[in-house]
Amino acid sequence: MLSIILTNLLRRRSRTLFTAAGIAVGVATIVALLAFTQGLKETAAGFVHLGGSGLGVFQANVSDPTASILPESIVARLQARPYVSRATPLLLIVEGVKREPAAVTFGVDPGGFFARGLVIVAGSSPSAWEREVLVGDRLAAQLHLAPGRALAVKGHDYRIAGIYHSGILFEDAGAVLSIAQARLLTKQPGEQTDVVVELAPGRRASVVARSIERDFPGTQVISDPQQALRAGANGTLISKAILVIVVIALVVGAISVANTMAMSIVERQGELGLLSTVGWSPVRVASLIFGEGIAVSVLGAAAGLLAGIIGGGLLVRALGVGAYISPSVTAWGLGRGLLVGVAIGVLGGIYPAWRVTRMKPLKALSGT
Amino acid sequence: MSGPVGAEVVVDGVSKSFGRISALRDVSLRVARGEAVLITGRSGSGKSTLLTLIGGLEQPDEGSVLIDGRAIWREAHPARERREVVGFVFQRHLLLEALSARANVEVPLIGARAHRRERRRRALALLGDVGLADRADHLPSQLSGGERQRVAVARALANEPRLLLADEPTGALDSTTSERVLDLLFSLRDRLGMTMLVVSYDKAIGARADRTVNLVDGEILPGQPAVEAGR
Repeated sequence: MLSIILTNLLRRRSRTLFTAAGIAVGVATIVALLAFTQGLKETAAGFVHLGGSGLGVFQANVSDPTASILPESIVARLQARPYVSRATPLLLIVEGVKREPAAVTFGVDPGGFFARGLVIVAGSSPSAWEREVLVGDRLAAQLHLAPGRALAVKGHDYRIAGIYHSGILFEDAGAVLSIAQARLLTKQPGEQTDVVVELAPGRRASVVARSIERDFPGTQVISDPQQALRAGANGTLISKAILVIVVIALVVGAISVANTMAMSIVERQGELGLLSTVGWSPVRVASLIFGEGIAVSVLGAAAGLLAGIIGGGLLVRALGVGAYISPSVTAWGLGRGLLVGVAIGVLGGIYPAWRVTRMKPLKALSGT
Repeated sequence: MSGPVGAEVVVDGVSKSFGRISALRDVSLRVARGEAVLITGRSGSGKSTLLTLIGGLEQPDEGSVLIDGRAIWREAHPARERREVVGFVFQRHLLLEALSARANVEVPLIGARAHRRERRRRALALLGDVGLADRADHLPSQLSGGERQRVAVARALANEPRLLLADEPTGALDSTTSERVLDLLFSLRDRLGMTMLVVSYDKAIGARADRTVNLVDGEILPGQPAVEAGR
């Protein structure tokens, strides 16, 4: 049976290849987007643990976590809670570095645990925070920056005191200045984007997150990467876009396979009639057609997986976010791509297979 | 004589129409086990229709067709009944062009869920029987018309049928090749003991068959000894 399936597919090479290519495009899109999302999630994980914190407190119901605004007073109030060990404010400046718009500039409390946790790999910590900045090693490498040189943030030049490494992609691809300077640059006196919190010993992040959201109405706490993706409208949008693309790929792919197989049945009705005449049961003839649909889909899915892995990298490059997001291909991501590919074959094969079971052998033979 | 015992065929008062065209009218025929019968008649006389009804590919409008007492059409699994009882040879060989001669002979055995090794062994043996052992791996397009028809005969015999139905088996062949195919069919019948019904214009078959049935306008001519012989 398998050899007949393969022989039939090879007999119509062009059609098999075009159908498989259609499926491959769908599967590749899904795999690339999943790799992109996974990369985004890993980046978001860094976003959650900025400065080595346990969780981040943001304004609730914002389009994106970076658009959050919280009052300065919340830091002291958080600090006073028993479940919090330390809290420090952050003011994020997006697109502040003109030469690398994707770089995030962090306004930090120079005495806070965020600033103190940075490992200086060149130069030194700023002695005059009002005139100096620290630059992450990835951004420094990208823009060829070194201690003593200048970095313009929001049009203001700051002297680079040192280069740091934190191990968190977001931070290492950005810059750090004092929150006072950040507030001046963004004209947000007394405000910050979020507060990063270190948990008191023995406290669980999920429990503390619920406590903070209860004690500080209007805030949302991000304690895991999934939450970071869901927190903003953009993350939700990406998740929903992937779902839409999966559904479109399934429908278009299934129609394509169904069309190909239905055409194949019309062309091969004599052959199928013969199989029935020599004693193949309707189910067995249908399973031949069904098997051909599945085989085309598996072929397309395999090509799609490969193209998706390559496509994920291209997508990140095309969007210009390579500095922040490394597409991450997981076994589950590939599995989902493969599942979609096989589902296309199953859905697309149902109708043609059903038609075959209704075919009368003599009528089919006379059609030859 | 060894192998399968031939099937008994009883056609009783069968009529069949296609739309307004009456293909068969009240046809009755009994074929004994192991008998070889030539069904002849002009084009459109209902010969092939009779064969397809006997083979269970069509259902009669009236009357019944029984093979060893069973009506293939009424069985829960007609395809399985066909596979276990009937072998077909058509005028056009109807081989699957993408498959080798051996694979074509294996096709009915796939339907019977025979094991791969058994399928191969049996297909090669049958191709040997029809004198094509050395052509087993050839595609139909690489075979002559006579060779293709011999592959079709081997395919028809794959499931050791008790009844072989041949519709114009020599219709597309030249006289020399026809002679060889007929030699093959009748020698196999003699060796395997199956019942054989052959639809043909070829009068040479009549000389080899046990009897001849002549169909005219969908009816067996009354009073013909050939028709009555089996009754």
